[in-house]
Amino acid sequence: MSALLKLSGLSITARLAVGDLRLLDDVDLEIRRGQIVGVVGESGSGKTTLARAVVGLLDRNVRVDQGTIVVAGEQVVAPGVDRTDRVRGSAVGMVFQDASRSLNPLLKVRTQLAEVLRRHVRGITRAEVERRSVEVLAQMRITDPARVLASYPHQLSGGLRQRVAIGLAVVTRPALVIADECTTALDVTTQTKVVDLFRTLVDELGIGLLFVTHDLMLASDLCDRIAVMSGGRVVEQGDALTVLDQPQQEYTRRLLAAIPSWS
Amino acid sequence: MKASTVRRVGGRLASLFASLLIALSLAFLLGRLSGDPTATILGPLAPPEQREALRHQLGLDLPVLVQYLDYLKGVFTGDLGQSLQFYQSNTSMIADRLPFTLQLVGAGMALALLVGIPLGVLAATREGTWWDRGASTLALLGQSVPVFWFGMMLVVLFAVKLGWLPAGQSGSPKHLILPALTMSVYPMAHIARLTRASMSDALAEPYIDSARARGISTRRVIWRHAFTNAMMPILTIVVLQTGILLSGAVAVEYVYSWPGLGQLALQAIQFRDFPLVQAIVVFGALVFVVLNLLVDVLHSIVDPRVR
Repeated sequence: MSALLKLSGLSITARLAVGDLRLLDDVDLEIRRGQIVGVVGESGSGKTTLARAVVGLLDRNVRVDQGTIVVAGEQVVAPGVDRTDRVRGSAVGMVFQDASRSLNPLLKVRTQLAEVLRRHVRGITRAEVERRSVEVLAQMRITDPARVLASYPHQLSGGLRQRVAIGLAVVTRPALVIADECTTALDVTTQTKVVDLFRTLVDELGIGLLFVTHDLMLASDLCDRIAVMSGGRVVEQGDALTVLDQPQQEYTRRLLAAIPSWS
Repeated sequence: MKASTVRRVGGRLASLFASLLIALSLAFLLGRLSGDPTATILGPLAPPEQREALRHQLGLDLPVLVQYLDYLKGVFTGDLGQSLQFYQSNTSMIADRLPFTLQLVGAGMALALLVGIPLGVLAATREGTWWDRGASTLALLGQSVPVFWFGMMLVVLFAVKLGWLPAGQSGSPKHLILPALTMSVYPMAHIARLTRASMSDALAEPYIDSARARGISTRRVIWRHAFTNAMMPILTIVVLQTGILLSGAVAVEYVYSWPGLGQLALQAIQFRDFPLVQAIVVFGALVFVVLNLLVDVLHSIVDPRVR
């Protein structure tokens, strides 16, 4: 089976006043349908840059030096090439850190869902917009979609907002979803629910999920494969269990050792 | 309506009423402090008996407190008194001048919005580029140029040198161009700077990145998502600027001999025409109160969180 997402030798540099800064250095990564790949690392390890590069949300002073990103068989990023607008929101959905602030406070949930659907589903009818909006909220395990659709973001709880934000990312039925630290701002109970939700979404919809987190334990719960990043490089990647049980790299061992335990 | 809403609206109205009362009282007191109007009306050589008689006729010999209460009573029954120099009702004089000021302010603010907002948005969306620097410099200049000087320069260029437009007075749409342009400069610059700041904040919000990641077009992200969120401070300034200009754009009207409220206010002050000065201040205060309420209403329309 071909890869949904394939990063090959990707190197990205930021031009700063003090000089160039390498954000990603020769990164290879692959995600297949139905697979959850975790990208784990400390702040500044490049994991967010990696996620944002796929949807073309890099800052103006950041550019791709080498390598390519291929999404569902289509090359979207290469040096001097940015065709991410062809997959952004359609083939790739993204959920952000602090997902509850990723909703526009002035627009009802219904309006925000409709906007995405109209943008990506050509000729969609009003009735179809409504049907798919309700459907996606139900998929998010929201029990009263009608009320949530008619609400403004500030009228919903943090957990609900999070689900709506995920709903907005998957309502167009993308093949690939990228979640960037999207559980960091949540309490542990909600975090668990969101992680469960992702697992079911991947199983039900057969999507691929790129799960970016600094939380190694969370990643090990959820992910099939794990890539450990440090200083812009993928220092180790493999099966989640293998990486955790038999880390090959000193860096991964130190990350694991830093997790507090009861014993 | 919820009880909290009623309380909020009630509190707002009470505070606006209080501001109105303070404005009225200040207008009254400052007028009294400026000296005796009978000297201006009758001339410096008039005999004291004649001035005394006029003072009595105008009610200026009564205790200040009584005058003050009379004045307040008049205001709240809709009677703004008579002008000392024109022997006409102040209300009708304000009504005569108002259409001219409305024309001028309407055209000036429209121009300020049409240029200021796109300029601010341009600067914010291209932050740190030459576009941004150019727009910001222009706005800074616009806010620092003295209105009367700019007005005179326009007259020199377009009326005297080129002869394209009339140098002053009113009558045709052509007469409106230079005064409206002059008037628009300050609010335009203010709106541009504010739009830039407010847009730049809005564009940094997480929901903007999210909208972009959902594939929403850049234009829609800028206007529908960022601009609507950045709009409230701009709206507030636009409405308040309109209020300032409505209650007398003195410099512009003076430079162009535009027969609006600003000119009238100037004449009233020069003549120590207390009743007229007070009437114009009352009008200005009322305009502000109404516009303040308008800002609140607009705010609650734009932002569901304050409803």
